[in-house]
Amino acid sequence: MLDFFTIFSKGGIVLWCFQGTSQLFTPAVNSLIKTVILQERTGNNAFTHEALQLKYKLDNEFELVFVVAYQKILQLSYIDKFLTDIQMEFRNKYKDCLTDGLACGTFNFKGSFDEILRFNEEESRAIAKSQKKMKTFDESLKSKKTVSSMIENKKEEKKPAKGKENKPVKEQVVKETLKKTEQTAAVLGEMDELTIQKNREKMFAKMSGKKPVKTASASPKAETPKKKGKQATKWEMGGTNKDAVSLDYSSLNGSGDATINGSMEEKHGTPSAEEQRWVGQMKGGLRDLDEDESEDEEVEEEKGVQESVKSGKSKKSSGMFSMFKNLVGSKTLTREDLQPALEKMKEHIIGKNVAADISVKLCDSVAAKLEGKVLGTFSTTANTVKQTLQDSCVNILEPKRRIDILRDAMECKQKGRPYVVTFCGVNGVGKSTNLAKICFWLIENGFRVLIAACDTFRAGAVEQLRTHTRKLNALHPPDKNGQHMVQLYEKGYGKDAAGIAMESINYARDCHIDVVLVDTAGRMQDNEPLMRALSKLIKVNQPDLVLFVGEALVGNEAVDQLTKFNQALADHSNMTNPRLIDGIVLTKFDTIDDKVGAAISMTYTTGQPIVFVGTGQTYTDLRNLNVKAVVNALLK
Amino acid sequence: MGASIQEQILQYANILTDNVQKQDPTTIGILVAILVVLLTIVLLVCRGKSNKRSGVLVLGICESGKTLLYTRLVHQNYTDTFTSIASNSGSYQVQGKNKSLRIIDVPGHERLRQTMLNQYKSLARGIIFMVDSSTLQKEIKDVADFLYTALSDSVISYNIPPVLIACNKQDLLTSKGAEVIRSQLEKEMNTLRVTRSASLQQIESSGNNNTFLGKRNKDFSFDDLKPMKVDFVECSLKGKNAESKPEMKDLEDWLIKIA
Repeated sequence: MLDFFTIFSKGGIVLWCFQGTSQLFTPAVNSLIKTVILQERTGNNAFTHEALQLKYKLDNEFELVFVVAYQKILQLSYIDKFLTDIQMEFRNKYKDCLTDGLACGTFNFKGSFDEILRFNEEESRAIAKSQKKMKTFDESLKSKKTVSSMIENKKEEKKPAKGKENKPVKEQVVKETLKKTEQTAAVLGEMDELTIQKNREKMFAKMSGKKPVKTASASPKAETPKKKGKQATKWEMGGTNKDAVSLDYSSLNGSGDATINGSMEEKHGTPSAEEQRWVGQMKGGLRDLDEDESEDEEVEEEKGVQESVKSGKSKKSSGMFSMFKNLVGSKTLTREDLQPALEKMKEHIIGKNVAADISVKLCDSVAAKLEGKVLGTFSTTANTVKQTLQDSCVNILEPKRRIDILRDAMECKQKGRPYVVTFCGVNGVGKSTNLAKICFWLIENGFRVLIAACDTFRAGAVEQLRTHTRKLNALHPPDKNGQHMVQLYEKGYGKDAAGIAMESINYARDCHIDVVLVDTAGRMQDNEPLMRALSKLIKVNQPDLVLFVGEALVGNEAVDQLTKFNQALADHSNMTNPRLIDGIVLTKFDTIDDKVGAAISMTYTTGQPIVFVGTGQTYTDLRNLNVKAVVNALLK
Repeated sequence: MGASIQEQILQYANILTDNVQKQDPTTIGILVAILVVLLTIVLLVCRGKSNKRSGVLVLGICESGKTLLYTRLVHQNYTDTFTSIASNSGSYQVQGKNKSLRIIDVPGHERLRQTMLNQYKSLARGIIFMVDSSTLQKEIKDVADFLYTALSDSVISYNIPPVLIACNKQDLLTSKGAEVIRSQLEKEMNTLRVTRSASLQQIESSGNNNTFLGKRNKDFSFDDLKPMKVDFVECSLKGKNAESKPEMKDLEDWLIKIA
């Protein structure tokens, strides 16, 4: 009844395999590994690939994976038990071999395998036949199970509930402190803004390499809650609204902006000196770094080299400790051992704004990875869990495919067609703003860009893009042929977005424009007609890249947004292979300090990489994601 | 004179043993301290000695034959393989020499390779970069991208291990020769260094940390990577027939050279 069964090491070496049919199973197993195990979805042990149902079990002590495959129409109830039996048998039989590091090549496992399989099949058949006879026993077992499972369920249900409470509790604390200081509830909103402001200052300070400016004028009113509240550190130097205004980077730097606001039309032709300075900042190769800055870099790099060289050394020394490890003995991790540490970790990452259900799944995956692992004497459970979680987070954030937009755009240029990028997302996350930033980056690298104004819905959307276009053109004078670096394709309001996008792409092809950036209207994920329209736009135009723009401030909502966007794109496309979201733009990253959970939630939900990170108000505030930095901030 | 010094030492020894017998905390403390210092020195010496880079990293994208190379070299047999989740490492006895190299098979999946590369890069005595010659046309961008990442890595460019690009799967009819692969990779790396140096800065780090490979104002060539040495060989790990021996003579020669 089984199509396929295999035992392989985590390194990918097949130790033993049984093949029931002549079908090729490598693709199925590879896709199991790539989409389940490497995506940190190991909490659930089943996977469907075409007509096959695959089940697997990880043996963490000997680093083995057991995979069984059968036709998915078969409902085989004994598979889980069978996997466990096989695992036990295999371990017992080849314990010495396995500890020696898989040195012995051939495992003659056929006999035991057949025996166990027959035994399991017969047992399941017997159960199926004698169901009526066994009823009383069955019932008692069931009743036992339900009681125990109910208890467990309660515990499990508590976790997410706690997670959800997490935020309100904090807010309550804030509220209480505010009550104590006799401030009105309206101040609460203000405080939130203040933290955002403050985080932005921090980010700015970090990026410019300066230390945050401490204002002495922090008013005592704001400081009183700081002493009492749990979240006190948040407001350490945020001060009040007034200070924030004086610290605000955007207004500080943009003295030119302020005047532009006054007399928009006149100022467009002449960008301020500040803005002119941005030009060339994002250009590759030619960028001039400040001298001391580059020196710093070198020093840092040198340090990095030395550190990693050192780390190589220290690894060796830990190898020496492993000698002691064998002497002192070790213990095997069980799920009970892991539970408290996992619980704590889960609370922690939920506190960092990871969506609640994602953190539950993540912790399940970590548990599956660690269960049965032998723990060294010198490492504690908590540390091991943290380390594994860190590895998992790195795995999630590390892109699963190559992202090099410039390279792809270059290839399209050679082929004589424009490279099309579509931006989508909910309202107010910064689609147009980040589109303008990406546009600036592309222009700096010598691409000519066409912006398609497909937001035909919100008042002022087209004008906003027109303003950006003017400003970008002013910063980058036309090329030799007298052609503008960036153009706007607009057809006014109330038109069909998909049609405009189509026309703009054709226009770009005719005019030999390299990149088309399609701005769409913001839409809530539950708004079906609008989602249908988006799906149509993507289906009709088949862009090279579909970017989802999401703000880093979002919490549990991130999962909902992304799943529904993906679902809508899949549902309304009527195609077997629908275009889904290819990448994520994470905006407002400067406002969140170390609450970087949204990055994890989004990448986990889609499995797609974060392509850009928006970190501020100006055209140059666009970054790549630094996986290490984010994971460190998450687990700090 | 000599006798008096001997006496003095004996005296001190006596005092010492007395104190230890009395379990005087100060003396025991001092003794423990001396012991700790001695142990540390011994440990440091051992660590200094063992710091020899003896690993050969096997890099490459998914399904290029890294794990098979590992089993061919370490276990001398052919096995079926799946996508690796973890790294393999084992020792390889170099032919004709009384030396062994540690072969480290680094998983090729995008999610894992960067982390694993960071983990092992400081141990690299040499790097074998596996290329699937039959599907190169399709995967050239990914191959070049990973190769560029590996070659421009700060630790690797600091240690300068020799690099061997092994064009695997020569048994297949559609596979390209080493010379073609070399020129195609060079062309791709040429574009890649433009896009790489233009890529955006990362959050929380100053400047983009991509070093420029090769000579400026000149098309990229693997010869320009000096002092890093990049060689190309053809090989077929599976062999022409199911039971035949692998064709990896050049690869083994290279291993002998670097051992």
